[in-house]
This record gives sequence, C-alpha cells and structure tokens, in this order.
Amino acid sequence: MEEEPSPPRIAPRLAARSPLPPLAIALGLLAAAILGPLPHVSSADTLAKVRAAGKLVYGSDDEGGAPFIYLDKNPPHARVGFEVDLLAELGKHLGAEPEFHWGLWENLLQILDRGEVDLVVNGYELTPVRTRSFLATRPYYVYQLQLMAPVGGLVHSMAELNLPKPGGGRWRVGVLGNSVADNYAQKLDPALVSVVRFDGATNAMTSVRNGRLDATIQDLPAALFYVKQEPYAGSLFLAGPPEGCGYYVMYVRKGDEALRDAVDSAIDALVASGKHREICEKYGLWNPAQEVLSGWKSADPASTAATSDDTLDFSLIASFSEPLLWASLTTIALAFGSMPIAMLIGMVVALGREFGPRPLGRLFGAYVEVVRGTPLMLQLYLIFFMLPELGIKLNPWVSGITGLAINYSAYEAEIYRAGLQAVPVGQMEAALALGMTKWTALRRVIVPQAVRIVIPPVTSDFIALFKDTSVCSVVTLVELTRQYSILSNSTGAAIEFGLATAVIYLVMSLPLSWFSRWVERKLDDKGA
Amino acid sequence: MNESDGGCRGAASDAAMIEVTGLVKRHGPIEVLRGASLDVRRGEVAAIIGPSGSGKSTFLRCLNGLERFEAGTVRVDGLDLHAQLDGRDRSARLLAVRRRLGMVFQSFNLFPNRTVLENVIEAPIQVLGRPRDEAVETAKQLLDRVGMSHRLDARPQRLSGGQQQRVAIARALAMEPRAMLFDEPTSALDPRMTGEVLAVMTDLAREGLTMVVVTHAMRFARQVATTVHVFSGGLVVESGPPDSVFECPTQEATRSLLAEAHAA
Repeated sequence: MEEEPSPPRIAPRLAARSPLPPLAIALGLLAAAILGPLPHVSSADTLAKVRAAGKLVYGSDDEGGAPFIYLDKNPPHARVGFEVDLLAELGKHLGAEPEFHWGLWENLLQILDRGEVDLVVNGYELTPVRTRSFLATRPYYVYQLQLMAPVGGLVHSMAELNLPKPGGGRWRVGVLGNSVADNYAQKLDPALVSVVRFDGATNAMTSVRNGRLDATIQDLPAALFYVKQEPYAGSLFLAGPPEGCGYYVMYVRKGDEALRDAVDSAIDALVASGKHREICEKYGLWNPAQEVLSGWKSADPASTAATSDDTLDFSLIASFSEPLLWASLTTIALAFGSMPIAMLIGMVVALGREFGPRPLGRLFGAYVEVVRGTPLMLQLYLIFFMLPELGIKLNPWVSGITGLAINYSAYEAEIYRAGLQAVPVGQMEAALALGMTKWTALRRVIVPQAVRIVIPPVTSDFIALFKDTSVCSVVTLVELTRQYSILSNSTGAAIEFGLATAVIYLVMSLPLSWFSRWVERKLDDKGA
Repeated sequence: MNESDGGCRGAASDAAMIEVTGLVKRHGPIEVLRGASLDVRRGEVAAIIGPSGSGKSTFLRCLNGLERFEAGTVRVDGLDLHAQLDGRDRSARLLAVRRRLGMVFQSFNLFPNRTVLENVIEAPIQVLGRPRDEAVETAKQLLDRVGMSHRLDARPQRLSGGQQQRVAIARALAMEPRAMLFDEPTSALDPRMTGEVLAVMTDLAREGLTMVVVTHAMRFARQVATTVHVFSGGLVVESGPPDSVFECPTQEATRSLLAEAHAA
C-alpha cells in the first residue's frame, strides 16, 4: 500500500510475545501504550520484494520438528522435511529461493511481525486468535492428533483418558505448549487429566519414555515419524486411532494479501498436479484426510482478514486473574524453595574454600566454576530429562528447586567468600586467642559479620532468582512468565498481559528490597 | 589476679610459666626468628623491646600458636608446642595453650557487631560454658576494673582507641588466663590514650599477673617490667632486670635502640 519497501516495522500488538524479561518488554510497551496504538504499517508488497531479491525467507523451528523440518542424520546433514520440500516447490512457483530463518516455535509469529521473515511455515494451525492479527494462507496439510503411550503402560487410546486412572490419581499427559494438542488436552476433564506443557514435542515423548507421564498427545505426522526413531522405537506406541482435525496454514503479515494470494495459488497448483501428494508420501504423511485439500476454496477474505483491534483490553487480566495468581504462587514457591538451599550450600562452599583443608577448597572451587560456567537452562534439562536415564526420577518441583538451588549456590558461594574475606584477619585471631575452636570462631564471630556485609548482594541475587524461575518452564512448571506466554498467545493480548506480568514481578520483588534494608538498619542500629 | 591462680603462684612462684628454646620462623626465604630463646617465670612481667622487624611480635604470636614455627619448642605451663606437632594433636594442644594465655592486640580486634559487654562474655559462655548470668557478673567486675563499666552497651566503634583497648584487656582477662600476652598494646594509640592503657597494665602487674609485653613504651618497660629482653635480628640479644639493661647495656643493638628511643 505504501510507496517504498519499508524497513522492518514494529507493530505494538505482538511485539511482546517473547517469554523473556517481561519487565523490560513492559517498559517498552508502556511507552508504546502511552504513545497510543501505532497504526499497522504495512510493508510495501512483500511479494514484490521477494521476487526482486529472488529469495523467500521463512520462519521455522527445526528443534524436534520432524517430519516437517529437521536436520538429516546422514551427511551432509541438510535441513530436510515435508515443509522444506513443499517450500522448494513453492519457491519455483513464486520465482524465489526459500531461505530458513530460525525462531522459537511459539515466537515465530512475533518474528514475522518484526519483519524478519516473509512468512511462517511450521505446522501452525488455523486459529481465530492468529487470524486476528495475521493473514492465513489456504491449508497445506490436514493434521490429526495421535496419542503416544509407553509400551506396557496403562493407556491404550485417547478414549481411556475420559475414564478414571486405575489406581487413582490423574492421567498425566504431555503436550507441546500452545499447540493444537495443548488446546485439545485442555478440553479433557481436568478432574481426570493433568496436562503438562513442554517447550518441545520430543521433550514430552522423552518424559513418557522416562515414565514421568502416562501419555503424550502429538501431531499425527510427528507421532508417525518419531515412533520409529531411536530412542522412542520399542518404548512408545501409537495408542488408538488419531483424533481431532485441523489445518496447517502459512501465515503472512496483514497487508501482504498479494503474497498470500500468490502462495495460495501455488499451493492450489501443487495439490492439483499431485506434487503435494508426492511430497506427503515421501515423508509417510499421506492419508485419506488430505483429500479435503483438493476441493478447498479459499476462505472468505473477511474471515481471514478480520479487523484487528489495537485498543488495549485490560478486562482480560481480571478474567484471567486466577491462572495469573497460581502462576505467581508457583514463582514464589520456586524462589523461596530454592534460595534458602542455595544460601546454605553457598555458605558451606565458601567456608570450605576459605577455611577448609586445601583439597576441599580445590573441590569446591571446581564446583563453583562448573556450576557458574554452565547455563541454568541446561542444568535443569540435565536434571529433568537426563537423570531419569540413570534411574533418578525427580518430579518437576524437586527438579526445578534443585536446579535453581545448585545454580545459585555457586553465586552465593562467591558472594559469601567476598564477605568472609572482608572480615579482618584480626577477628579470627582474636577469637582463636580467646580459646575458641575454628568452628566456634566462624559460627560466632566471622560468619555473623560476613552475613551483614553480604545482605545487599544476596538480596539482589534473590530478586534475580525470582525472575530466573521463568526457566523452570523447561521442567513443565507453569510459573509467571510461562503463564504470560500462554495467555498472550491464546488471547493475542500481549501488551495487557506483559504489563500485568511486569507489575506482578515488581510487586513481588519490592518487598524483598524493603525487607533487606530493614534488616540492615536493624543490624546497624543495635547498640548505641 | 584471680583466686584460682593464687595457690598455684604461691606453690611454684619460681617455676617457669613460659619456656622458649631455639625458636626458628621463616617467611619464605626470610628468617624472622633465628633461634630465639627466653623464659618467663610465674608472676613475672617480661618486656620485649627491639627495633621494628626484629621479630618480637612474631615471637609473641608463636607462643599461642597464631604463627607456626619451623624449629624450636614453646612450653606454656608445662604444655609443649613443638614444630612437628600436627593435625588433631596440634589443634588440641593449641586449645589448651590458648586457654592459659590471654592476648591483647595492637589493633584491639574487638568484635564490631557486639556491644562491650557482649565482647567480654562471648568466650566465657562459648568456650568455658559459663551460665550467662555468671559471665555477665564477672564481665561487669572486669569492665569496672578497667574503667569501662559505664559503656556496657556501646558498640566498639563508638569508643576511643584507649577505651577499646581497655575493653580488649577485660575480654582477655574474662578467660582467667595464667598469663597475658600484649602485642604492642599502645602502638595504635595517640599519647593521650596510651597512659590510660598502661595504667591498667601496671595495675595488673602489681597484682602479680604473669605478663609478656612487646612494647615501644620504654618508660613502662623500665618501671613495670621484672625482666627486659632485647630482640635484634630474630634473636634475644640481651636480657636482664630493667635497671641493668637500661643503665649499662652490654650489646651494641641495645645501645642504639635506647639512643633512638631517647632521641624520639
């Protein structure tokens, strides 16, 4: 609609889908909110740009993405899959070479909105929430959902999830967060089924394999593919017939009707020529359900191009206050559960390094370096997904709290060490000269002084931990950031929930600051 | 000073309280002590003088094990500390030795997070297992003796240096030591406050407390000490009653030290 190809635009509506620092996002959004909703700036005809550049940039996530998009196990380890082949054919029709651009699956639309990709192709289903803000192409695949269960387990079909679990408790069913399977699972009776959300489809399968879950609901193609792959082959099976049904579509930005139409007619042509079926069969994806695609008529433009409302709707927050509250409590429980343990381990490590025998000091030194030098996310992943392979199965809460506690213990240890070093040597000498043992001297004289010194940095660390609990979504805990991501993805109200989430974090961390300052004052005022 | 020591002193007043033989201490290649020997009898006040870097503070810190040494022996009240002692044996022996020796530091080293009273009662309660009431009672008496009973609830940083050092003396005395070690107790004080600390120490000496005092305060050494030991180059070069050491020193090191002190 505009004259020139415009630089990547930032639309206020969806700029906040990232699950990362909500406060930072909200501050930005606050500015956006104050300035008022920006008009949707349409990129001047992406199709023309694509043709001119000869390349079509598509957003996708190849992690656990088989059979749609994945890295070939065999050399040259090219990116292959149903969608890759489909895009190659599509590219021929459009006169452009497809180019892969990675993004976290649930953030792909946001990446599209930022203008970094021309379209999103990654098993995205057609949903009203998405078509509020984006243009959907015609479907390129009809998906179904398939239950995967452990061989020799309790579940044999989707229908059994509607019956009480033998032996009591609820069915534990894993899904890819914010996916169709997730939506489907949410509709099951919560009294019977507890839904566990994962960041990646294969993580859910791993948890079923570990015996942590009773079953996982997956896209049929993914289930068909992975059930034959190591390490799932033989341990998981396809339980019962596929169920549910929906359409995978590609998404482009609003205003890119030309691109959408071009893609639509390309898909029409691929389906009509039988090329689409050929690709499906290559990846074992063809089934009779796909016949529907042949007779498809592009939907009424009005339905896919529904007007997007850019006004903020804070009433949503009130109606979702309960999940937000629960998620906040989860965050609080994780932080308060892990910090005391982290402080305790940290103190032991710091004392060992400063006052213990040399071999112990070296060992603790190595502990600090290893724990501090590796990402928290990876540590949680290790605890939750790798330890069960060794027979150590910790539940999500224990995993999350353990991971946070270990990770933060290394930082606490260094803070305490600095605190211990800041206590003058003469204090230890005076205590020893008074006949105290080293242990009594530490307990009664050195540590109390070190603790006073480290209150400010430890408080600061505690607040950081509060926000780092968001990483616990890896172990399927729905804490505040995760809940934010779920709510903003399922309602499209990213700004509203982003602001609410930021405010909740702030409300939770401010009392900590006040408390620590109060403790400092109390310690300082004691004695005239 | 206290009743429990009274009988002990009477029975063996001429026996040695501290005997040090051939003490050698190295800091890397530097030999700080090169075989220093020295005895202190019960009830004696031994003053150790010498130029800076002559090893006198290190020597004092070897007596209660704050410094390890490479060779020689230290015997405190019949308890041996020797260089080979290690591990658990050394820890146990050190505790026993430290129970017998109080120490006062140049920089006071009071516990800054505790009040005056808490500083004094801490060790009796934690180490001796005294009931709190009893410890408080004793502490008040001791603080009264050093003239600090009016600041029981003050934090150390609110006190002058001289006041802090007097509290530190009371803190050490609260452990009822057989002898007291003073490591340059007035060197960090300005002259105005030196007097009040030395007055307390003179008092203690008069009451017959065994004391080893590393000091630059020559007048105090001369007036209060029973014996003066002169350190130079990591050795005791001259020992004797104050009058003879100060009036007719036999060693060149002593003479130059006295000349310097006189000039200062």
